[in-house]
Amino acid sequence: MHPRSTGGTTDRKRPQLRRLGSHLAVLPVVAVTALATACGGSGGNQTQNTPTSEHPVTITFANWADSEQATRPGIEDMITKFEAVHPEIKVKSEPISFTDIGHTMVLRVQSGNPPDVAELSGNDTFAVAATGALANLDSYAGDLKSSFIPAEIAAGTYQNHLIALPWTVNPPGLWYNKQLMAGAGLDPNSPPKTRDELMTDLAAIKAKYPDVIPLGLDSTNRDFSLTSNWSWMKSFGAQPFSGDKASANTGQMKDYLSWMRELAQKQYTSPGKKIGEFRPLAAQNKVAFVWDQPVLQGVVQSTNKETDDQFYANWGVAAQPTGTGGKSYSVELGHQLVAFNKSPNKQAAFTFMKWLATDPQAVTGYTVKYESSLPPMANPSADIAKVIGTPTLQAFARDVMPTIVKPEFGPTYSEAYSPIMAGVQSVMTGSTPVDSVASTIQSGLESAFK
Amino acid sequence: MVAPTLVILAVVIGYPIVRAILMSFQRYKPLSGLPATNTGLNNYHEVFGDPIFWESLRNTAVYTFGSVAVSALLGLLLALLTENLGGRWRYVRSLLLTPWAVPLIVVAFLFRYMLDQDYGVVNAVLRHLGIIHSNVHWLTSSAWAMPSVMLANIWTQLPFFFLIFTAGLASVPNEVIEAARVDKAGPWAMATRIKLPYLTGSALVAILISVINNFNDFAKVWAMTEGGPGYSTTTLVVYVYRLAFSSFNMGYAATVGTIWLILLVIFAVLYIWLLQRKSAS
Repeated sequence: MHPRSTGGTTDRKRPQLRRLGSHLAVLPVVAVTALATACGGSGGNQTQNTPTSEHPVTITFANWADSEQATRPGIEDMITKFEAVHPEIKVKSEPISFTDIGHTMVLRVQSGNPPDVAELSGNDTFAVAATGALANLDSYAGDLKSSFIPAEIAAGTYQNHLIALPWTVNPPGLWYNKQLMAGAGLDPNSPPKTRDELMTDLAAIKAKYPDVIPLGLDSTNRDFSLTSNWSWMKSFGAQPFSGDKASANTGQMKDYLSWMRELAQKQYTSPGKKIGEFRPLAAQNKVAFVWDQPVLQGVVQSTNKETDDQFYANWGVAAQPTGTGGKSYSVELGHQLVAFNKSPNKQAAFTFMKWLATDPQAVTGYTVKYESSLPPMANPSADIAKVIGTPTLQAFARDVMPTIVKPEFGPTYSEAYSPIMAGVQSVMTGSTPVDSVASTIQSGLESAFK
Repeated sequence: MVAPTLVILAVVIGYPIVRAILMSFQRYKPLSGLPATNTGLNNYHEVFGDPIFWESLRNTAVYTFGSVAVSALLGLLLALLTENLGGRWRYVRSLLLTPWAVPLIVVAFLFRYMLDQDYGVVNAVLRHLGIIHSNVHWLTSSAWAMPSVMLANIWTQLPFFFLIFTAGLASVPNEVIEAARVDKAGPWAMATRIKLPYLTGSALVAILISVINNFNDFAKVWAMTEGGPGYSTTTLVVYVYRLAFSSFNMGYAATVGTIWLILLVIFAVLYIWLLQRKSAS
């Protein structure tokens, strides 16, 4: 139509296109260089360094302790103390929230940029282990393994190798508020021993204190929540899946779901709340029973400034009320320490992990003081035994720890928790028949495991 | 000067999109320890039989179009009501814009605490006034969760429409208004027959921008309900997040993400077409 003008435009564009071509030709070189740089960095050097106090190594420590107000001063103090004892090792803390740390570690592994050490818990440990990125700690731990509680070592074992060093022992137990129990006409020194007794007590609390939440139970859609509810499912004889086989559409599972619906409908619990949301309420005597870990004590006391004696006078802890099979259950939700294969400083990393988990200074100054948790050692030293001799920690050690079972942790757990907990939320907050919800969970699991 | 721009666009925008589209044809679960394998259209077949996908799509539509429609109507109403405010009263218009200045995540947490079923101020006030006798589970009942999240969303985007309509009303020629007054047009006729036609163009563009923003909204929904209870507030973006970063089902997440992208592109094309038509007219 307008050949001259079109030709002119084309002529003007040719040098630009040639320049673009030459720029694009450089792209692969830039990309390869960038990739090499990305894959390199600190993680690229696989040699084991020998650190000295003059030439210390720096290890990175991804953890949520440093991201939470309640534990930040404690962990920072521990790092300072560790560096004083081990001047050849510097620790750089990387705070990541508890909710995000699991998937953040998987993504960092995928991008070739894991830390040297990380704090993990529950299924997160096994999800990261499934990527093959965690260091085998067998050779580092050696005889040390025999000094830990066997169940804690089992909780850190994946495919017959120790991949996580137990740090804090934190199973949930049934906390009961003695003041509220007494006020509701219940015996404050006799917590419910069976599920029927529990329901009777919840009814008494609700009748006497309409604005108090009778039972604090996490029912969010998180893997932590499934782990917390696992023991309640077990008490009905239910287990929604095993390996990659779904078994949610069973009578036992329906019984559990019906019970959760009853708790919500009678307003015995507040659906959709994280366990962390019940803790400040517990500090105000607004929750009568809480299915929670030892850490509850620390949060309550840091919130309401109660002394130890005041706390023990008001709160006690017991094993889960027995269910269908006459047994109590709990799960290990303690914190574990892992090292990564890619770390060039695995020995330094393990030195730090071991110190945090076992050194009396760390156990008394952090594990007990800030986490209100038990240490993982089978026979703790006298110093440690003295500080863990509190009524609640003793109750955890005596009554709760023997009831611990290990959920089906692993890659399938990451895919299973959402369909299960979405179903639990459905029965608690909607009117869909339980049979239908159980069937939906079953098909959701089968689809996820395909 | 064009080449560096193209390179940056290719790396920052092009690569992730192409990679995600390619991944949508793969089975890729990083936790399985297995490499990604091509599965053709399997993921797409699976999506069409996935009830959660359809529920998420329906929730996205309700959340997006419901929020935009109510915000636009309220924004228009407020713009008309405050159009002739003078003196000290003109500051009311500035006040109405303040929700826009509050960060989205703060809005989400503000509403979450206000709507808390046990200790939220909303239930406390409603009970005090005798409107309700037991606490309403605003965010944790399947029936109330979506309207509650939409309420927070409407509150935060209302000022956007208010601003657009206020600016549109200011551009209505005085002669037209005067002529309508001479013809004794009442307030209703003045609003619907004289002013609204002048606002149509800007309203359409604002609505489309808003639809795209709402379609992408993750922060408010996640911070308030995490898509629950059950799947009652799970939108497409929340579903993609759960698939990718909780279940680590990357291939399937990419498939849902690609479908979501296609829907967004349709809105974006419509938006560009409207802009071009507007500038041409």
